[in-house]
Amino acid sequence: MAAALRVLDVTKTYARSDMPALAPTSFEVQPGEFVSLVGPSGCGKSTLLGMIAGLLAPDTGIVEALGEPVTGPGDGRAIVFQDAALFPWLTLERNVEYGLRAHGMPKAERREKVADALRMVHLDHVAGKHPYELSGGMRQRASIARALVLEPQILLMDEPFSALDAQTRVVLQDEVQRIWLETQPAVVFVTHNLIEAAFLSDTVHLLSSSPGRIIKTYDIDIPRPRDESDPALLDLRHDMLERLRAEVDDAARRRAEIAEVTL
Amino acid sequence: MSTGVTDPTTAAAPSQRTGDRVRAIAWQVVRKGWFIALLIFLWWLVTAAGWVDPYKLPSPGTVFSTLGTLFTERALLDDLGATLLRLVEGWAIGVAAGVFLGILTGGTAFLEDGIRPVIAGLQSVPTIAFLPLAILWFGFNGTAVLVITAFGTFKPMAIATYGAMHQVNPTLMMAGRAMGARGLFLQRTLIFPAIVPNLVTGLKMSWAFAWRALMAAEIVVTGAQGLGGVLELGREIGAIDVVMAVIIVILVVGLVTEQLLFTRLERWVNRRWGLEGAR
Repeated sequence: MAAALRVLDVTKTYARSDMPALAPTSFEVQPGEFVSLVGPSGCGKSTLLGMIAGLLAPDTGIVEALGEPVTGPGDGRAIVFQDAALFPWLTLERNVEYGLRAHGMPKAERREKVADALRMVHLDHVAGKHPYELSGGMRQRASIARALVLEPQILLMDEPFSALDAQTRVVLQDEVQRIWLETQPAVVFVTHNLIEAAFLSDTVHLLSSSPGRIIKTYDIDIPRPRDESDPALLDLRHDMLERLRAEVDDAARRRAEIAEVTL
Repeated sequence: MSTGVTDPTTAAAPSQRTGDRVRAIAWQVVRKGWFIALLIFLWWLVTAAGWVDPYKLPSPGTVFSTLGTLFTERALLDDLGATLLRLVEGWAIGVAAGVFLGILTGGTAFLEDGIRPVIAGLQSVPTIAFLPLAILWFGFNGTAVLVITAFGTFKPMAIATYGAMHQVNPTLMMAGRAMGARGLFLQRTLIFPAIVPNLVTGLKMSWAFAWRALMAAEIVVTGAQGLGGVLELGREIGAIDVVMAVIIVILVVGLVTEQLLFTRLERWVNRRWGLEGAR
């Protein structure tokens, strides 16, 4: 089967920085596969997601989504942002409807799909409310519904739970697992939370910074639905931490060597 | 024995709560009104004691009774109506032009680079300085006054609009684009609603500019009916009580519209747009 998403040797260096944000990086995502990009700040995981979304252009390399090169935001890909990014002047219902309107779908059809999407995230009872009237968790659910309503084959999530409190976060992780099992899009999930990545994913790419790159890939075949307190997940987390720690030590040593040279 | 943690809002009897409300409002009136009361008292004191010539400063009583007479004779009401109509007309024209140009320049870098410095330059000139020009072009009449009012509105409104265009939250823009919004649809459904809170602030500011420009212009162009004309007439005939009465009317109109109307609109929009507490 053809990959849903193919990332081929993409790189990115931001102006005002001599270190690439992302060294040549490649990976694939199969249809229906849940893939996480996890790592510390500055490891290029959000940059990578931005390029997959078509909101950022890679300096070199190619991103292919559903067999087509990515040149901008496009059909088949939907994105969930860290801070929900709902339009504050619209009700939840209208927010969820927005992408369908942008695609010129007739009203009757829209209404049905919006209702389904809101039911999916358990927000049908507050469809008429405005974002400011809702909690952070509800806003993030709404932004997931807004992405799902477009029936994406590729769902991109950029640290969707990092602004939420721990309890809400756990509840939403379960929800995302359930929704993903029901709708089966390919998912690229960016997070700095190791246990969250291990819990949700089929594949976890562990990234490190300076320059941003994938340092290890984990295939996780724990059966679903999973339990957050599964000891196998804790082992995985432990291993990822060890890898990151070794990286940090290496980086510190490299910096120390450079410092000696320049002295 | 009571534990002392009872919620006062549920524990208090309704009549007691009403009493608290009345007391709270009375306290607000005292806090916000004491200085005005003091000023009026001092005004009354210097006139009653005969320390100033009544032709230079009439007593508060005289001014307020003149105000009453002016209104009951309806003459001032007609002038007030003419002025308000001109204000709303000029302001509406200026707002429409300002928002239009603001969106145009805010959305196109080439237009912005050329037009923005010109508007900024014009804004540094007090609007009333353009009145002689307006009189030469449109005549010594209400049209010149209307044009000046619209022009005084237009500049701050355009500046507020293109400023707002640059402050649209980039994440919202990304979200909109990622959902497939493009071109005019993006303008109409995302950029325009996103700048509404800044536009409302612009409406309030430009209203204040319009009001000031209008008053200045009306005082000069006395042929046109309006409060400014009455003010100038009062000066000509030496009726200082009329002059002061009209100043009070101007003050009240400005205060009521700017503070009550626009501040409320601003608060409502900020709440609705989820900006409350953010400013």
